[in-house]
Order: sequence, then C-alpha cells, then structure tokens
Amino acid sequence: MSENLVAFEHQLGKTSLSLPELLTQEAKEGIARQASFPTTRDEPWKYTRLARVAGLSVTPIAFNGAPTLLNGMETIDVIFEKGTWSCSTDVEGLTLQSANAISPEAWQACTTKGHVQHLNTLTAQGGVGITVAAGMSIQQPIRIIHRCSGERFALVLHHQIKVEDRAQVRIELIFEGEADQAYSNVLTDFFVGKEAQVHVDKWQNTQGNHYGFYNERIYQDRHSTFRMQTLTTNTHFTRNDVEVFSQGEAAHTQLYGAFFGRGQQLIDNHTYVHHMAPHGTSDENYKGVLWDKATGVFNGKVKVYQDAQKINAYQSNKNLLLSSAASMNAKPELEIYADDVKCSHGSTTGQLDAQALFYLQARGISKAKATEMLVGAFCAEVFEAVQSEYIQTAIAEQLTS
Amino acid sequence: MLEIKALHASINGNEILKGLNLTVKPGEVHAIMGPNGAGKSTLASVLAGKEDYEVTSGEIVFDGKDLLELSVEERAREGVFLAFQYPVEIPGVSNVNFLKTAMNEIREHRGLPALSAKEFLSLVKEKSALVELDATLASRAVNEGFSGGEKKRNEIFQMAMLEPKLAVLDETDSGLDIDALRIVAQGVNTLKTSDNATLVITHYQRLLDYIVPDYVHVLFDGKIVKTGGKELALELEEKGYDWIKS
Ligand SMILES: Nc1ncnc2c1ncn2[C@@H]1O[C@H](COP(=O)(O)OP(=O)(O)O)[C@@H](O)[C@H]1O
Ligand SMILES: [Mg+2]
Repeated sequence: MSENLVAFEHQLGKTSLSLPELLTQEAKEGIARQASFPTTRDEPWKYTRLARVAGLSVTPIAFNGAPTLLNGMETIDVIFEKGTWSCSTDVEGLTLQSANAISPEAWQACTTKGHVQHLNTLTAQGGVGITVAAGMSIQQPIRIIHRCSGERFALVLHHQIKVEDRAQVRIELIFEGEADQAYSNVLTDFFVGKEAQVHVDKWQNTQGNHYGFYNERIYQDRHSTFRMQTLTTNTHFTRNDVEVFSQGEAAHTQLYGAFFGRGQQLIDNHTYVHHMAPHGTSDENYKGVLWDKATGVFNGKVKVYQDAQKINAYQSNKNLLLSSAASMNAKPELEIYADDVKCSHGSTTGQLDAQALFYLQARGISKAKATEMLVGAFCAEVFEAVQSEYIQTAIAEQLTS
Repeated sequence: MLEIKALHASINGNEILKGLNLTVKPGEVHAIMGPNGAGKSTLASVLAGKEDYEVTSGEIVFDGKDLLELSVEERAREGVFLAFQYPVEIPGVSNVNFLKTAMNEIREHRGLPALSAKEFLSLVKEKSALVELDATLASRAVNEGFSGGEKKRNEIFQMAMLEPKLAVLDETDSGLDIDALRIVAQGVNTLKTSDNATLVITHYQRLLDYIVPDYVHVLFDGKIVKTGGKELALELEEKGYDWIKS
C-alpha cells in the first residue's frame, strides 16, 4: 500500500490502525476536518514549507510486538525497527505496554488542536505506553529508539508516558537510521504527576531525505519537574513542537535544545509553554549552529494565564551562522494575562568570534579544530544538561569529525 | 632567525607599516619602543598572521621560510608566539583543554608524540609556578574573569608551555604593578636560551630594567627610525619621543 500523503491523511478508518479505533466516530470526524498539512500562511508554519512533504508517496509501517521481560539490563530499551517493536524490562514500578492499551479517555484528553498532531491521531500505527508507579524511582534510563531506515515509508507513532505522583524517571528519545523520501510523525505525551521528576534527552539523527515531525505534549501537575533537551544533528528536515501545559502550582519546566544544520537542511523548533497555575517557572535555552545554506527556526511562545501569578519564565535563543548563506528565523511570543510575573527573553544571531578564533590559531590550533572548540563552547550549557552518555559521546564524535 | 625587509602593511586601506626593516638572530632580545599608534601592535599582528592586515610589499623570512606564505597556525607551529596586548576571553573553552590541544598540534607538527595526561599536568604545574599563576586558573575558561595581571601572566605561562623560537611580547607590561612586572620578566628571562629570541614591544622603559635588551629600536610612523643599545631606552625616557621626531 503506497499512498500519497494527502490521500493518506483522509483514509480514515480504512487501514488496520488500532489506535484511532479508540476514538469515537464523532471525534474522528471532528479531527478529520482539521487534519491536513498547513501552509506558510498559517503563522506557526510561516518559515517551513511543506509542499514537498505533502507530495511524498509513502507506505505506513505497522508495528507489531509486545514487551518481553529480561533481567539486569543497564538500560531499558524500547526499539521500533522495521515493523516490529520490542522492549525488555522487569523493573519494579514500571509498566510497558502497547499504546493501544491506553484508555480511550486518556487518549481523547490529549487531542488538542494542531494540524500535524491531528494527522498523527488519524494515522498512528503504534506506540509505547509507559507507566511509572507513584513514588517509584527508576534507576535505568528508558531508551525509546526509532531506527528509521529504508525508503518511502511513513513512521507514525503515538507514545504515552505517565509518571505518577512523586515518581522519577529518565528517558531518551532517539531517532536514527538512514532513509530516503521518508516521513515520520511521532507524538509523545507526558503526564507528569505531583512532585514527579522527568528528565528527557531527545536526539534526532536521521540521515537522508527524511521529513520528521516530532511533537511532545507535557501535562505537569503541581511541584513537578520536567526537563527536556532536544538535540538535532544530521537531519534533512525536522520540525519540533514542544507544548507544555503547566497546570499545577509551582511546576518547573526546562526546555533546552541545540541544533546543527548543514547543506540545505531545515530545522524548525517551536515551543509553547502554557503557565496555567501560580508560582511556576520555565527555563528555555536553545542554541543553533548553521553552516552552508541551512535554515533554522526558533519560535518560543509563552502564555501566562490570568490566575497564574508569580510566574518566572526565562527564554534564551542564540545562534551562530558559519556561512553567509545560512539563515535563522527567531521569534519570541509572549502572551501575558497575569500582572505579577517575570518573563524575559532574548535572541541573538551572529558569527563566530573572530578574535577568539585568531587567538586559538595563534597557539597552533587549526582553523577547523578552533571552530569546533568554539562551537562546543557555544553549546556547552545545553550539552552539560544532557544526562545520556550515549548521546553525549555520539554528538561529541560527530562534532569532531 | 627573523629577517623583515621593507615591510609595508595596511588595514582598511590605511598604510600603517611603511618600509620596516628588522633582523633578529638566535639568542637576542630586541626591544621595540614607540609612541601610541606608531604601528607596534600592527607589526606583532602581521608577524602572527592576522588576516585583517594586508601586506602590500616587503618580505619576512623566518628560519629560512617565507613567513607570509604560512597560515596563522602554521606560524605558531613553526615557533612564532605572540603574547597579546589584549588577551581574548573565550567562555566555555577551558585553559587546560585549549593548551593541551595547542601543544599536541604543535608536537605533531614537529614529529613528536602527544603528551600523556600525566606529563601534561606536571608541565602545567611546573610552568604555572614559573609565573606564579594560581593553578586553579588553569582549569577555568580561557582568560574569562581573569584580572589584567592574570591575563598577562597567562600569556607568559602559555609561552613557557609552547617553547617558541621567537616570542613577541606586545605591551606585556601594561597594566602590571611592579611585583607582577618582576614575575613576568623573570619568567621571560628563565625561558631565554641561545636558540630562541624575544621581541619586547613596550612604550615604557620600565620593563627593560628587568628584561635587558641587546638592541632597542624606535618605531615611529611605521618605520624603525633609530636603533641602539639598552641605553637608548633611558635616553628616550628622559627626552621623550619628540626628540626622535625632530
Ligand atoms: N581596524 C583599523 N582600521 C584603521 N586603522 C587602524 C585599525 N586598527 C589600528 N589602526 C590604526 O593603526 C595605527 C597603528 O596602530 P597600532 O599598531 O595598534 O599602534 P601601537 O601598537 O603602536 O600603539 C593607529 O593609527 C591606529 O589608529
Ligand atoms: Mg599596541
């Protein structure tokens, strides 16, 4: 079955999709009316053309599989590869299941507006559901690995991660492999309970002509902490939408990111933090480095609701352009309806510091190595926030090659 | 070791060096003095290979090689060291990592094996003691938050680590109190051998009480207008640069 994506998005109910069966017919129809690829006339897609993506001819990958139990692993790996998914764990307090098993109520609760999310909801082929029981702290990191190799495929997944009250977990979301004319749309929901702590390191490293759409929606209860680092390297086209609903009092959110674009790559990062309750804090720090004719977008939106007093929202986006043909579009958006809040944002786009480069070279360091050192220093705050050794090592290697 | 012949250099179309000649032999210490704006830092930058400066004519031969043909890093690897008048702060790059990278690139160029972590650290210890540089500064980001004096001592520390053939010290004395001056000068004197040479750029005579030059040159309006022994520095101090002009 090969479908043009535009047709694909309208083929409601015709495939063996298990996830959307959870939706009522009414909900499906409502979503179908809104599901389509946006155009650059839509504000959030102003800088990112999707004509190429909509014209792709792809075959959806259906995933079959089930969790197996294994002892004594250093990481808990959930792997999606070539139509099967597998995972292994016997860790106390942790439940892994197919996302099909998630209750329809939980499912519908998180179908918010947004073109690409709707496409996901209509066409998702699987996903993992993870529950960390209240008060449990999982020692091993859970790695959700997507090996996206091949051509003309559509990888459409919806994961749901529920971290109950006072529980703690560290998660890695990894996208790798080499693909051609491929499309992914991966939506991950995080339900973060009271006083729970979640750390996520997300690495996008898909090589080849691969169009990747990634959505994370985070629902935070009071006194919870959610931290996510989004690292994008070597991708042809990446759109990230991170949307946080800071619903409980005094929740803390950290969204960091670093992206590296070369050739004609496009990397678009959108974040949207809803401060819906008082005393919340959010800290955003994104760094972009662009070579050649690469394009970057950072759009950080913060909305402070009327009753959300004493909010402290900080946002910073800094970019380095290493070629005159590279371009960066940066846009902060603040919508504030409460009066006692602290919100700050800053964005800069510039070149490598010529004085620093000269200083390093004047000590015998090659220009390439000096550039690499300065790029590393530029992104240090983000790299240091990453806890995944696997990702840290792999990125360090990539940046030195 | 260094031969500069009829060097003309300009920046943004302004000619700054206007036919400069200078010969430096191994084991020698040369001082270059001159008023602000004479072109002293320009000379230092041209020697180090800063791209902002355009050499319009003349030549520079270093150890038999055409220096102007070499890139910035190649010059450093061949043994040219510039102690900056204004050392650059580089947040996020640690002093240690920076120096280790530099040393190993230079060693590779000279056909020497990379230093082990242990060898490197014991060198850091030895050389930082030479300029009484607080050992904790080595682990901080390059020059970030260093005081003026610490920055200058850090330059001499790097020089001690890299063991250049030709060291160019650009106003290393400016902003130093007398104790720091003495420490820096002692460092430079200790590093002196019969195989290397030092070019000390300054516009005060003060430093030359501590680093005793074999030759003193007066740079004025892009040219060396007078050369003498160490007593020339004293004479300049007494009579001022107007004496040269007339
Ligand atoms: N970027 C520049 N553009 C134009 N002129 C410059 C620039 N940098 C320095 N100069 C000029 O070059 C001359 C020599 O400067 P410099 O070599 O720094 O002098 P010194 O170190 O002897 O005080 C000065 O007149 C200065 O104004
Ligand atoms: Mg100067």
